[in-house]
Parts: sequence; C-alpha cells; structure tokens
Amino acid sequence: MSRNTKDFKCSSTAQKINSVSCKQNMSRNTKDYPTYVILGSGGHTAEMRQIAMALLEPSNCTNYQPMRYIVADSDDTSQSKLSSDLPSIRDSDFIRVPRSRSVGQSWLSTIFSTLWALLWSCWLIWRDQPKLVLCNGPGTCVPFCYAAYMWRLLGRLPANSKIVFLESFCRVDTLSLSGRLLLPLADMFIVQWPGLAECYRHKNNVKYFGRLF
Amino acid sequence: MHFKVVYVTVGTTKFDGLIRAMTSDAGLYALQKRKCQKLVLQHGNSLPLEESELKLINEKYGIEVEQYKFRPNIEDIKGADLIIGHAGAGTCMDILNNQKPGIIVVNDELMDNHQLELAGQLAAEEYLFYCQVSELARSLAILDFAFLKPYIVDKANMAKFVNALNGLMRQ
Repeated sequence: MSRNTKDFKCSSTAQKINSVSCKQNMSRNTKDYPTYVILGSGGHTAEMRQIAMALLEPSNCTNYQPMRYIVADSDDTSQSKLSSDLPSIRDSDFIRVPRSRSVGQSWLSTIFSTLWALLWSCWLIWRDQPKLVLCNGPGTCVPFCYAAYMWRLLGRLPANSKIVFLESFCRVDTLSLSGRLLLPLADMFIVQWPGLAECYRHKNNVKYFGRLF
Repeated sequence: MHFKVVYVTVGTTKFDGLIRAMTSDAGLYALQKRKCQKLVLQHGNSLPLEESELKLINEKYGIEVEQYKFRPNIEDIKGADLIIGHAGAGTCMDILNNQKPGIIVVNDELMDNHQLELAGQLAAEEYLFYCQVSELARSLAILDFAFLKPYIVDKANMAKFVNALNGLMRQ
C-alpha cells in the first residue's frame, strides 16, 4: 500500500499510467465488491455453511467480505440455519431469487423457470459486480455462474473476478448436472472424492483436497 | 444395541415411502424390539400421520410419536440414539459429524437418483448402513450397529482448500 501512495506523487507519464491503475485498484478495494455465495437447500446449505465459516475466519488474510447469500424464494430453511451459525449475518445480506429448478420438477417447465432465473441473475450480477461467485451445486447456481461469465467477457465484471464451483459431497462417481454445465467455465472446480478426481484429472481447473466435510 | 429415541428425517424433500415404512407394523415392531420409547418424525413434504394413528401406535407399541414438518433439527440430531434418514448429504453429514448410528434409506421417488453413490460409498467405508425402503424393517431388526466406524475428517483438507482459493483470488 505504501508503494502505491508513492506512485501517486510521481509525475512521469509511465508512472502516471501506473498510478492510474493503482488508483483503480485502490478504488476497487474501497468499494466493497461482494462475494456471492449461492445457497441451495438441505445438504447444499449445510456444506456451504462450513465453507463460509472457513473463509470468514479472522486469521484468513484474503478478504471475502462482504458476503451476499443467494437464497431461492421457495427455500424457508437456509436463511435461519445460516443465521443461527453465523450470528454476524444480517437479514440484508440475503438476496432472494426465483428458483431455476425444484427437485422433481419436469424438464419442460424447468426450461421456462430457468430462463426467468437467468434474467434475474444477469440483473443481480450486473448490479453488484461480485468479485467471486462461489457455489456448490444447487440448480440456482447455474444461471449465476453463466451470468458472471458473460458479464466478465463483456467487461462489466473485472477480468480478475472468479467463478468457483464445489461439487457436492454426495457426488462420488459422477458429476451433478450443475457440475457438468459449469465444468467448462469455472476458474476452480473442486471434487471431494478420489474417484471423480481421477476421472477429471486431465482438466486443469479440477482440484481435489480430500474430503472437506 | 438399544435405541430409546429414534429420529427419522426426510430433509427438504418428499419421501412418503420412508414415513410409511417406519410406521408400518413391521417397522414399529422392530423399534419396539430395540426398546424404542420415542419416535420423532420430520416428515417435510411427505404426508404426516393422523392423530388417531399416533394414539394407536402409542397404545399398541408403547412408542410416543412426535411429528413435524420443518424446524432447526440440531437438538433432534443430538438427542437421538439412532438416526434414520434419506440419502441427502445434509442427513449423512449430521449422522457422521455427530457420531450417531444411522441408516440411510434410498429415495427412489426422486428424479435424479444419484443418492445411491454417497450412501453406497459411506456404507462401503463402514460409517453407516444403507438400505432400500422395502428392507428397512428387517435391517432395523438384524443389523449390528457396533460394527460402524467413527467418522474422522482431516481439518487440513479445508485449510488446503482455503489456501488454494486465496491463491486464486490473488491472480
């Protein structure tokens, strides 16, 4: 940081350009770009709760705050479960969105509800410009990741913003539908069982750290 | 092994088959043999039992049944001597992380039945038992729960993940 301030005082052209980019960096740091944490229901939320707690550890040097939690509007339990574990969370940290697919929903109506969810995701990502979209496999996360990918290509999100997908603990041998849809565009794609790690080891973005939960 | 309090959970899904199997005569008889006094049913979107049925179960088997749709269930988990649940990752984790004996029942009413994968793997590693709905009563009667291993997670794995993510964010 001290080096940056020094840069501002210099006046040669090259350093001016340098200082402009520093300034941008600084304003980027001061404006709080959020981390988008996409919650599902049931087990997805239980996993994400532990991830959020690990990322928010005071000892962790990288700043993931402010965190915004995306919850499907039909999901009654995720918000209260998360709030009871992380007391620092305020109600305003939650963003409610339409669900792209409910468990058991037919494929035809899934298409329409997904389009609607995609419109919502595009608007929210455009508005908040998250530095990180973090998700672990509920249907809700797919449109958000695609929206983030698109806005990054179009320059609305900075080039260093990231999309991270954590395949659910319950996927041992095969990827979920969300996983298959997001494998090509995730910056990091984490699997939790050795079988899957072996199967996708040729993919650079696929990582395996052993069982996390 | 005896189970005074048995907790049955279907999570956020609908699993009528599990609720029916558990409250069938064979299921209740197996519970009675295990000295069960209280059965807590989290039925979610499945059909609950009628008041009259609850009363009948209490009279016939001496088992008090409590049922509810949803509520924060950490007390139910901690208070249970045996957990019977659908194969959702949340339920599996609740069983493993609280070191409770558990039976996972595979829900074949769901569209994409990947749940066999996890339940099968965890059962293969001897952390819990798993079965089909039709086998539940019998499993409950004959399984030896002392056979199950405690589940241990290496905390270093999560630290490795956080480090990798920190590194990615700096790029």
